[in-house]
Amino acid sequence: MAKDAQPTVDDALAEPRGRVILGASCTIHEGAAIKAHMLEQLARAGPYEIDGSAVERVDAAGVQLIVAFALDCLERGLEYVWKGRSETLEHAIELLSVGALLESPGAAGPPGAQ
Amino acid sequence: MTLDLAQFHETFFEEGFEALGSMETALLKLSAGEPDAELINTIFRVAHSIKGGSATFGFADVAAFTHTLETLLDQLRSGQRHVHSNIVDVLLRSVDVLREMLSSTQRKQPVASAFTAGLHAQLQAIVKSSADGGASAPPVAAAIAVAAGSPAAAGEPAVPGWHIRLIPGPLMMEHGNDPLRMLRELASLGTLVTRVDAGKVPTLAELDPEECVLSWQMELRSDAERAAIDQIFEWAEGECTLSIEPMSPVVSTQAAASNAAPAPAGTATAPAASAAAVTAAAAAAAPDAPVTPAVASRAAAAAKLPSAPEAVRSAASEGGSIRVSIEKIDELLNSVGELVITQSVCSQLAALLEGRQADELRNALVQFERHMRSLQESVMRVRMLPIASIFNRFPRMIRDLGQRLGKKVELKMSGDQTELDKTVLEKIGDPLVHLVRNAVDHGIEMPDQRRAAGKDEQGKISLHAYHKGGNVIVEVSDDGAGLQRDKILAKARERGLVGADEELPDDKILNLIFAPGFSTVEVLSDVSGRGVGMDVVRRNINQIGGHVQLHSTPGKGSTVRIRLPLTLAILDGQLARVGREIYIVPIVSIVETIQIKRDQINSLAGKAELFRLRDEYIPIIRLYELFGIQADNTDLLNGLLMIVEADGKRVGLFVDELLSQQQVVIKSLETNFRQVTALAGATMLGDGRVALILDIPGVIVRYMDQPCRAEPAKEAA
Repeated sequence: MAKDAQPTVDDALAEPRGRVILGASCTIHEGAAIKAHMLEQLARAGPYEIDGSAVERVDAAGVQLIVAFALDCLERGLEYVWKGRSETLEHAIELLSVGALLESPGAAGPPGAQ
Repeated sequence: MTLDLAQFHETFFEEGFEALGSMETALLKLSAGEPDAELINTIFRVAHSIKGGSATFGFADVAAFTHTLETLLDQLRSGQRHVHSNIVDVLLRSVDVLREMLSSTQRKQPVASAFTAGLHAQLQAIVKSSADGGASAPPVAAAIAVAAGSPAAAGEPAVPGWHIRLIPGPLMMEHGNDPLRMLRELASLGTLVTRVDAGKVPTLAELDPEECVLSWQMELRSDAERAAIDQIFEWAEGECTLSIEPMSPVVSTQAAASNAAPAPAGTATAPAASAAAVTAAAAAAAPDAPVTPAVASRAAAAAKLPSAPEAVRSAASEGGSIRVSIEKIDELLNSVGELVITQSVCSQLAALLEGRQADELRNALVQFERHMRSLQESVMRVRMLPIASIFNRFPRMIRDLGQRLGKKVELKMSGDQTELDKTVLEKIGDPLVHLVRNAVDHGIEMPDQRRAAGKDEQGKISLHAYHKGGNVIVEVSDDGAGLQRDKILAKARERGLVGADEELPDDKILNLIFAPGFSTVEVLSDVSGRGVGMDVVRRNINQIGGHVQLHSTPGKGSTVRIRLPLTLAILDGQLARVGREIYIVPIVSIVETIQIKRDQINSLAGKAELFRLRDEYIPIIRLYELFGIQADNTDLLNGLLMIVEADGKRVGLFVDELLSQQQVVIKSLETNFRQVTALAGATMLGDGRVALILDIPGVIVRYMDQPCRAEPAKEAA
């Protein structure tokens, strides 16, 4: 990941407390585990960061979980930033047309593809 | 004083959806035969009423669309334009679009412009074009281009494409059908513009990670054939709601071949109609032409449909009603249920009294009971709706499926005024859709196959509903290829469902298609493939206390017969005592009751007990063990075994004693307490005691879940 090209967490938020880190596989098979991880992080006080830079495999189920997480944050007025998105994840977000839903309210700018 | 119009919105939407249903029904009749003035008037009135309502409430998009639609209908009504099958196609698609528009407006979401703009432009183009193709009229294709602002207007070639709407069903992703893959494959066919609807995404905590709640509307700019798009969604068929409509005025070659009437030479529209890319609007707006064979066959089919005046009468008889929320009716039904119980308690107490006044009291209570029953039946009837509300969706579905598959299918319906409880109706919609789709898709053969088999090339599907013995029977029949027992048996053996040397009677072989996971297309590809999702059909029907039977004759067709309870609010039950507890077993589940003999009992590895019933072994479920209560006796020889059946499995329930049979009012455990596996609800008996109602599929599940019982019993069941 070209870290220097990315808006860093520090740029956007002073101190993220919840960190959602997506693994290489973000599919329906890992859905329950990802959801549990997200809920665990959401239980902490915000702000949050999501790191999708390691995602190599993704499906609609995986993206839908991210959307649900983002909408939860939006609904509760919580800020989050993207630490990064892999090319695979970026492409899936684009195809499924959910990019606008994942525009992080706390981010300094859009996350670039990894 | 200002009037808050918002309070009338819901009524407008409800009436709008209902009116669109009537419009669709009328259009299907219009498409099948000679246009009837009254039928066109009916359709016009629907459009006019929706236009008026939407304009009043400020729903500008809906008002604008219906205004154009109304203009076209007015042209048809006045005879300025003649009804043509392609016009009917466009009008039917307008119904779809209007439903979508009303639905979006109801959800306070913006109307998807991509979804509506194309069709609105087509309607405008038709309206502006010369009705009878006069030489002075502008070419229809040009009119469309101007109306739609398409590239053709600027002298660029029109780009063909497709409007696609994908609403995944609850099991689609779980079954391996990933929308992302579908969208990726669509994108590979051309330029894909996608719009997501995330309105149904719940909170993360409530989200089922395996269920897709996102849905998409897409515009695919591509010259891909319809078949290429169908192929992408092939595996998801039945697991999602999918609509694929031509985006530009180009229609598929099949539709063009079957629907487009040739335009007379020398008219301005002729070039458009004869061009390779025949536009739907051009074909629709083309002047009346000699009837094509396809149209003639439709006309022939129309002769067998109810006449227009009948439809009008039917619509008229639906008048004089008021709208009452279902919650209010449920409250009323609940109160009546309580009254029935109280009356029963009173009767039991009165039975203990003596003397002249006691006799008078008992006589009065007998009358009271009669009136109570009458009141209960009246309230139940309020919840009853004709099954027509489900049947009405099938003419359109069969028409569309037939066109898509290149099959000719005639639908016959009878008994559509047979009434069922609203809750039952809501639960049978999806299973019936599945059965009818299967019948068209896999049951009815292609026209050439039918001809080769000596059949009429037009297949027949019939839906028949009627009352029988306190139940409603719904039959779905087709005169297609039928199921082939040998192939089913071979597949069942391959999957280990039937032993290699095991022989089964025909009915049991046919019932194998209800086995979970049996249903894959390759199993019965040349038979019918109707195993797809049949396990779900049966499970859904069983869940509401219904029963599914299948009859099939190779080469002659199949019939699925569904027996349904009239209502889910009351139940015919057999009371059975276990120790001091009374359980109610739904009579529909009971096969027989038997006194056990010692030589009929077998134990498997000291775990499960099996009862030998003629040539099959049935697991014995001791209810006192299952529910952890005290029984009068534990010796199987001193009690009774009720053989019950659910989901194709039979088990024996060991009880102390059978009591009476009676109709009971079901009280929900879920509402009043919590859901409990193996129990469908509770009821109060005449003596004030609470009796639990058994849920037989749940009893079997709960029994199987006991670790020491599971394996041997699974084999037997």
